[in-house]
Amino acid sequence: MVLRRNDLLTPEGTRDLLFEECAAKRTVTERVTRLFESYGYSEVITPGLEFYDVFNGKVRYFPQETMYKLVDGKNRLMVLRPDSTMPIARLAATRLCSVELPLKLFYNQNIFMVNPKDSGRDDEIAQSGIEILGGNSGAADYEALVLAAKVLAECDGDFRLEIGDSGIFRELIAQYGCDEKTAEEMRESIENKNFPALKAFEYDNPTARALVELPRLFGGFEVFGKAREFLYGEIVGRKLDDLEKLCVELCGIIPEEKIRVDLGLVHKKDYYTGIIFRGYVEGYGQPVLSGGRYDTLLGDFGRDAAAVGFAVNVEAAAKVLLQKDRSRFMKSPDVLVFGEQGAEIAALKYCGELISEGKTVFNYPEMHIDLARKYAKEHNIGRVDIVDKDGKITSEEV
Amino acid sequence: MENKKVRIALTKGRIESKAVDILEKVGYDVLELRNKGRKLILSIPGENIEVVLAKAADVITYVEHGVCDLGIVGRDTIMEHGGKFYEIADLNFGICKFALAVKKGTDFFAGYGVKTVATKYPNVTRGYFEKKGIDVDIVKIEGSVELAPLVGLADGIVDIVETGTTLKENGLEVCRNVAPISARLIVNTVSLKLKQERVLEIVDLIKNERIRENS
Repeated sequence: MVLRRNDLLTPEGTRDLLFEECAAKRTVTERVTRLFESYGYSEVITPGLEFYDVFNGKVRYFPQETMYKLVDGKNRLMVLRPDSTMPIARLAATRLCSVELPLKLFYNQNIFMVNPKDSGRDDEIAQSGIEILGGNSGAADYEALVLAAKVLAECDGDFRLEIGDSGIFRELIAQYGCDEKTAEEMRESIENKNFPALKAFEYDNPTARALVELPRLFGGFEVFGKAREFLYGEIVGRKLDDLEKLCVELCGIIPEEKIRVDLGLVHKKDYYTGIIFRGYVEGYGQPVLSGGRYDTLLGDFGRDAAAVGFAVNVEAAAKVLLQKDRSRFMKSPDVLVFGEQGAEIAALKYCGELISEGKTVFNYPEMHIDLARKYAKEHNIGRVDIVDKDGKITSEEV
Repeated sequence: MENKKVRIALTKGRIESKAVDILEKVGYDVLELRNKGRKLILSIPGENIEVVLAKAADVITYVEHGVCDLGIVGRDTIMEHGGKFYEIADLNFGICKFALAVKKGTDFFAGYGVKTVATKYPNVTRGYFEKKGIDVDIVKIEGSVELAPLVGLADGIVDIVETGTTLKENGLEVCRNVAPISARLIVNTVSLKLKQERVLEIVDLIKNERIRENS
């Protein structure tokens, strides 16, 4: 039997990024990094490998079947990080424990997850994101949302920033008083706007009625008016008022038509405790950005502090940029430099001169001028400079 | 106001013909859909709507990836295939059910031996028995599942049952209902947000037409 070798493949859900794809990705990373730095955020890089336990606590449950796992030298279970927020919370509670809050951190790093087979989804995703740890939660929420909108605007397309409050669902489901399994079923149906499945609960009582209405309550600010017909009670009412105030005030800085509300945003991620938001950009079929407030997560690591943050899918944003205008990321060198036999060093020296003038060069590595001309033509290089043995330079337009 | 382009994926076959009837009653020009020949992408003139014809599981894939905004697909495929999208309405046609069927007169749940279940829907089957906390061996069958218990491969089958005639003719009977099935209208999560007005307009037209017909 011939052993099947996989040395010519990349694993499912991963791929090599080439040329303009790299350029577009780098553009996104550079833009958001500049943005985060200009707002005073400090960069951190956490290890790609973490202990399994980091992602498996009371309020930080990642299903084990979605994580890539391996074991370390002591047979302890490790994972390729499926998320950057947990490691940053760990960091804040350990090495940064004596650093005073608020802390504003940002990262550019990849996360890994196991997707269902043949789903066409990426198992390795480049993310950039911020975390605001500590601080007055209102002000931090505003800042996170404003930065999220700025990140979305960097994708150069029509975007929407959608905001909800995970506390509303949490409060309602507690009032409803069902068992955990039913609660999870309802949460899933609300998240998927699965109205047929929710129908079964519709007539139970006013709280059930409110839960069933949640996924319908999305759109512009008119949602708040509609929501008050179904959502009452002191706590829910206050959360609704707070969310409305937040959205209205954000209009002072983000155009109103870019802000959407969805009270049916109820992520699986159990660590969200307050506002929760997503970003959509025209041209990409899934959310590009996602985040929220998580006030209990740091406490779970042993340092009680409120926090809010978001992550943007850098490759998704890069794809949107590429769709808009691929050609601007396809850069050709300005000059092809051809050194004749014996002029290799002279050619390299000349390359250096051109570069110091601000040009980009392609030092042709073969000894045939016709091949060099052909290469220049095929690669849209407008000029060929030939360096001869005496260091004389002849320029040709292509 | 400008109508943003919307693409709807229909499950080829029975769901497609019923869906085309609905689209016609809604007031859309479905001439091209009726005389489609071998074309897979068709347009509804004047509405900026494109209709895509695909196999059931592909309808979900297209909608999930956002290349189609809306889709009409059976609950059976949604249960088996899963995925991330909004399952926004029950269209109340293509009604049938998933059921566990056994050879007439046998008791599937008798004894403590691990039972074998043959099915075309391993995920649905696994989900059903997991929920019940029962260990079963699942065998995936591609063709007529009814054969499996008859030739002794399986103790029971999980399959779609419409009228029950096929079961009866082969000496099988339903022993448990697993889940009801009907055609569902699904929506891509981003489309609903970025093209909210247009998508909801179409959703409401279709939903109201269904309510009208069923009343």
